[in-house]
Amino acid sequence: MSSQTTAAATAPAPRGAVRAVLAPIFRLLRRYAWVHRWRYLGGLLTLGLTNWLTVEIPVSIGVALDRYRAGEALGGPVAAVVLMGALVIVVRTLSRVLVFNPGRDIERDLRDDMFRDLLSRRASFFARHTTGDIISRAANDITFARAVVGFGLMQAVNVSMALVMTGWKMWALSPILTVLSAIPIFVGLVVVQQSSSLVMSLHRRSQEQLGELSEHVLSSFQGIATIQGFVAEPRFIERFEDKATALLRTRMRGALLGGVAFPSLLLAGSLSIFVLLYVGGPMAIRGELSVGEVAAFATLLGILLPPLRSMGWMLSVFQRGSVSIQRIFDLLDTPHDQPEGPDAPPAPVDGAPWISVDGLSVAYPEAPDKQVLHDLRFTVQPGAVVGVFGRTGSGKTTLLKVLARLIDPPAGAVRVGTGPDQAADLRAVQLRAWQNLVCMAWQRPFLFSETIADNVEVGPRGPSDALDRSLALAALRADLSSFPAGVETVVGERGVMLSGGQRQRVALARALHKLARRPGGLLLLDDVLSAVDHATEAQLVGALRSLGAGGVAPTTFIVSHRVSALRHADLVLVLDEGRLVDQGPPAVLIERDGPFREAWRAQLPRGEGADGAAVGGAA
Amino acid sequence: MSAPDDERGLDQASDLQLVGRLWPFVRPDAWTLGLALLLTPAIAALNLAQPLLLKEAIDGHLVPEVLDGLDQVALLYLAAVLGAYITEAAYSLALSWGGERTILRLRKALYSHALTLAQRFFDRQPAGKLLTRVTNDVEALGESIASGVVSIVLDLLLILGIGGTMLWLNWQLSLLLLLLAPPLLGSIEWMRLQLKRLFVVVREAQADLNAFLAERVDGAQVIQLQGAQPWAEAEFARRSRTFTEANKSANIYDAAMFAVVDGASRIFVAVVLWGGTGLAADALAAVGIEGAAPPLSVGLLVAFMDYLDRLFRPLRELSGKITILQRAATSLQRLFWLLDVNDKVEPGTVAAPRLRGALVLEGVRFRYRPDQPEVLKGVDLRVEPGQSVAVVGATGSGKTTLMRLLDRSYDGYTGSVRVDGHELRALDPAGLRRQLVAVRQDIQLFAQPLSFNVDLGNSEISVTAREAAAAAANATGFVERLGWGHVLRERGADLSVGEGQLLTFARALAHDPVLVILDEATASVDSLTEGLVQEAIGRILEGRTVLIVAHRLSTVQRADRIAVMADGQVVEFGAHAELLALGGRYAALVAAGQVALGEGSPAQAQVQAGAPDVG
Repeated sequence: MSSQTTAAATAPAPRGAVRAVLAPIFRLLRRYAWVHRWRYLGGLLTLGLTNWLTVEIPVSIGVALDRYRAGEALGGPVAAVVLMGALVIVVRTLSRVLVFNPGRDIERDLRDDMFRDLLSRRASFFARHTTGDIISRAANDITFARAVVGFGLMQAVNVSMALVMTGWKMWALSPILTVLSAIPIFVGLVVVQQSSSLVMSLHRRSQEQLGELSEHVLSSFQGIATIQGFVAEPRFIERFEDKATALLRTRMRGALLGGVAFPSLLLAGSLSIFVLLYVGGPMAIRGELSVGEVAAFATLLGILLPPLRSMGWMLSVFQRGSVSIQRIFDLLDTPHDQPEGPDAPPAPVDGAPWISVDGLSVAYPEAPDKQVLHDLRFTVQPGAVVGVFGRTGSGKTTLLKVLARLIDPPAGAVRVGTGPDQAADLRAVQLRAWQNLVCMAWQRPFLFSETIADNVEVGPRGPSDALDRSLALAALRADLSSFPAGVETVVGERGVMLSGGQRQRVALARALHKLARRPGGLLLLDDVLSAVDHATEAQLVGALRSLGAGGVAPTTFIVSHRVSALRHADLVLVLDEGRLVDQGPPAVLIERDGPFREAWRAQLPRGEGADGAAVGGAA
Repeated sequence: MSAPDDERGLDQASDLQLVGRLWPFVRPDAWTLGLALLLTPAIAALNLAQPLLLKEAIDGHLVPEVLDGLDQVALLYLAAVLGAYITEAAYSLALSWGGERTILRLRKALYSHALTLAQRFFDRQPAGKLLTRVTNDVEALGESIASGVVSIVLDLLLILGIGGTMLWLNWQLSLLLLLLAPPLLGSIEWMRLQLKRLFVVVREAQADLNAFLAERVDGAQVIQLQGAQPWAEAEFARRSRTFTEANKSANIYDAAMFAVVDGASRIFVAVVLWGGTGLAADALAAVGIEGAAPPLSVGLLVAFMDYLDRLFRPLRELSGKITILQRAATSLQRLFWLLDVNDKVEPGTVAAPRLRGALVLEGVRFRYRPDQPEVLKGVDLRVEPGQSVAVVGATGSGKTTLMRLLDRSYDGYTGSVRVDGHELRALDPAGLRRQLVAVRQDIQLFAQPLSFNVDLGNSEISVTAREAAAAAANATGFVERLGWGHVLRERGADLSVGEGQLLTFARALAHDPVLVILDEATASVDSLTEGLVQEAIGRILEGRTVLIVAHRLSTVQRADRIAVMADGQVVEFGAHAELLALGGRYAALVAAGQVALGEGSPAQAQVQAGAPDVG
C-alpha cells in the first residue's frame, strides 16, 4: 500500500494524464455504449472462455506428451485438444462479433447524432469550422472513436486476461523459469513500448510530409498556367524534390526503428526459449520438471507474445481515440446560436409578412468596425414587391441575409408580423418557423451534385407537374431539353455541368418551388433575374403577385442592378455603401437625381424611358 | 483525340511489360533488393534450424537425461535466434531503402512530366485525380516493393523449407497433415473472397456516405431554408445504416477467419499427437493396415508442432501479399498512363529574340476540340508596340479564348498570329513566356512565402526589383503588414480577393514583360481595394504592349484602343469616344450596364474553357 501512495505522490502528472485520456472515453461509453451492455457482457464472457481455452490447450498437450513418454494412454488429452480447438473457433468468432458489432452501432449512432446536429447549425458555426475540419471529424475521428469501443475494449480484456492466465499457468509450472523468462520479455516490451511512441510520431510526421507534398503537387497542377506562363518549372521541381526527400528521410528513420526495435519482442520470446533450454533443461534432467511441462512452458511463452505485441498498439488506440472522441464532443458541445432562446414563439405571421426595419445596422463578426449596413429604415406591406438597387458592396445581399435571418438583426431593428399591430421582433421569433416562410435564391447558389429535380425539390420528390411548373417559371424549360437526361441530369459537383446563369435559374426554381407549396411567404431574389432575358424577367415579375398558393402573394425582395427588373416594384430601396440613400416607388425615383435615375437613363434604350416611367407609375 | 482521356482507353499491358518499364526506376538501388533476396535463404535456414535444435535438446538430452552438451545446443539455439533477428532486420531495411528510393524517383518523373503537359490536358483532368497518381498510386507501389515480390520469395522459401523438413523428419505424419490442409486453406480462401466482396460494398457505402455528408455540410443553409432537415436526416441515416451493416457482415467473416486459423492450428497439433504417438497406427491396425504410422520421439513431436506454428504465418499472409501485388499492377498501369500522355503545346523551334511587342492577328480561327464549334471565327487585330488595347464583349464572344491562344496555353489555331513578325507557334514557348506574361482571372497563389509568390523562385529577380514590382502593383501595404516571409495558406486563403489580384500584378511586373495579356477579374472587391486595383492596372498599361479583357468602364477608358468582340470576331475597333459615337455594339454594351456598373456578367464560370458547355 505504501509503495502505491508514494507512486501517486511522486507522479501526479501521469495520473492526471490518464484521467484526461479516460474522461472522454467514459463519456462516450455512458452515452452510447450502455444500451449495448448485454452484448458487451456476452463478448466479455466469450473472450474469457477463449483465453481460458488458449491457455488450457498447451497444458493438455504437455500432459499428453508426458503420458506418451510414460507409455500411458493419451487418447483423453488428445481428444480434449481437438474439442477445445473446435471450441476456440466458435467462441473466438463469437467474442469478436459480440465486441466489434456494438462498436459499429455506436459509431453509427454517434455519426447520425453528429449529422443531425450539423444540420441545425447556423452560419456562425460554419464560419468557425471549415467543411474539411467537420468532415475530418465525422469521417476520420469517428473511426478512431469506434476503435476504442471495438478493438480497444477487446484488446484491453485480452491483454489483461492473457497476462493473468498465462502468467498463472507458467508460475504453476515453474516459478523460477517464469521469473527468468520474464526478464527478456520485459526488456523487449520496454524497447517496443519506447520505440513505438517514436515510430508513431515518425509516422505522424511522414503523414504530414505526405500531406505537404500532396498540397504542393495539387497546387502545382491547379496553378499550372502560372508555372508554365512564368517558366518556373525547374523551381517547382526543386521544391518538390526537397519535400519528397524529407519524406523519404522520415520514412527511413521509421523503417530503421521498425525493423530493429519491433522484432525485439519476438527476439525476447525466442531468448526466453533459450533460457528455458539452458536453465529449464538441466531442471528437467534433474527431475524437477517433466519434459511435457517444458514443452507446455514453451508453448505458453508463444501464447503470451501476440497480446503483448499488440499492447503498444492498444494504448495508442486509446490515446488517439480519446483525442478523437474529444474532438467530436467539442463539435457537438459548441453552443447553438439561438438568440431567441429555446421557447421562442412561432412566427407571428403565416402568410405574406409585413416587415418594418427601424435602425438596422449590421457588421460582420470578423470586421466589427466596418458597418455593412448602416441605420436602415423602411416598411414593407404584406405582398409588396420591393426592389433593392445599388452597386457591388452596397449591402444588398447582407440585407437579404438579415431578412432570411441567416444573420441575426440587432434586437428591435426588424419587426415582422401581419401588420403594425401584430408584429414581433424578428430576432425573438422561432428560427425554423420564420425560415419556413423564406424562399430564397442566391446569386451564387449552392447546388448538390445530384439531379436538377433533386436540386429543385431538395427534400422528397413531390408531384412532377408541380416541379414542371416551377422549372417553367424559372425559364429552365429550354435548357432542360438540351440536357442528356432532362430534369434527371446530374449537375456535377456544385453544378459544374451548368453555366452560371443556369445555376441561378435552378436556384430560382428551387425558391419558387418552395413558394408554391404555401400561401404568401417571403421571396428573396438575390440578383438572379440577370440570368434570364428581359422578356422572361418581365413575365416573372408580372407573375409574382399571383404566385402564392391560394392567391396570397408573397412579400418579395428583388435585388438587381438592372432597372428593368425593378420598374414594376411597389418600392425601391437605393443602397450605397451600406446606407439607404433613397426609397420610393420607381416612378418617383426617376423624377429625382440619384443613382437610380442615372442607371435608368443609361440602361433603357432611348425613347423607352418615358414609356417605362408610365408603366412604373401605374404600379 | 490526340491522347486517351483516361486510363480506361489503354490496353492492359502484361505484368512482364510493366516490370520492364519499372526497371529503370528500380535499377539504381537494385543492389538493395538483391541483398534482400540474398538474405532470404539465410533467414529461412535460421528459422528452420530452431525447431531442429529444440528436437535435439529434447531427444538428445532431456529424454535420455544427458546433461552433457545441453548447454552447447542451447547456445546454438541462441545463435540461430540472434542470427535470424539480425538478418531479418538487414533484410527489411534493404527493402525499405530500395522501395523508398524507387518511389522517390518515380514520383519525381511523374511530377516533372506532368509539368510539361499542356493546359488543355489539365482542363480535362481533375487536379485531384492527377494528384492521386502522384500520391496514392505511388504509395501503393511502394508498399508492394517493401512487402511484395521479395517477401513472397521469402514466404515461399519458408513454406517449402518447412514442408521439406517436415517430410524429411517424418513423411507419413507430414502427408497426414497435408491431407488436412486443403479443407482449411479452402475455407480460409472462401472467407477471404467473401470479405473481398464485402469490402467493395463497404468502400462504396463509405464513399457514398462521406460524399453525402460533405455536400450537406456545404449546403446546410440551403437545407434549412428549404425546410428539408427531416428528409436529409432520414437519407443520411439510411446511408449510415447501409455502411454499418456491411461492416458488421464483414466483421463476422473476419472474426471467423481469424478464429478458424487459430482453432485449426490447435487441431493440427492434436493430429500431430494422434499420428505421432501411435494412436493413428492403432486405429489403422484395427482396419488391417500395419506399420503405416510409426510412433515418434517426443522431441520430434515438439519440433513438428513448432514447424506447424511457423508454417501458418507465411501461409496466412501469402494471399494478402498477392492482393497487394495485384493492386500495385493496377497502380503501375495508371502511372504509366500518365507518363505516356504526350499532350504538349507544339514546341516552336525559333528562339524568341528580344521582342518589341508588335502583335498582328489575321483571320484567327480556333476550336477547343474537333467535335466542338469554333469559338474564334476569324479574328483580325493589330496592336502596336507600347499600345494598350481593351477587349470587350458579351460572355461567350471569345475574349478569354483569344487570351489563352496568345499566352500559348492552347494551340491549334488557323490563320496567323505574329509577334514582331514571327509566327507565334514557331517561337520557342519558354523564350516567348519570358517576355510575354498573362495575368488570368483565376488568381493562382501558392502556399509559399509571399516573396516566392512574386518571383516564383527566379533568382534573376532582385530584391529591389521585387519591392518595386510590389510598389507598382499597390501591394506594398499588405506585404509590409505580413512580411515577405509570410507563408500563404492554401490558395492564398489568408488574402482578400483584391489582395490576391494585386499580388498577381506584382508577379507579372516583377518578371518585367514586354507584352502583357491581362484578364481583368469580374469578381467584386471592396471599394478601397477596387481603387488600388484600378490604379495598379493603370501602371501595368504604361509603356507595355497590353491586351486586356476589360469589364469596368474605367479600365476600358484607360486603354488606347478598344476592340469589341462578338461571336468570335472583332466587330468594332477604335477609341472610346469614337465607338460611343458609332452607336453600335459598344454603345449598347455600355448602355446595358455590362461594362459600366463595375459588375461582370454573371456567367463567369464559362471561362472553364474546353469543358463541354452544356448551356
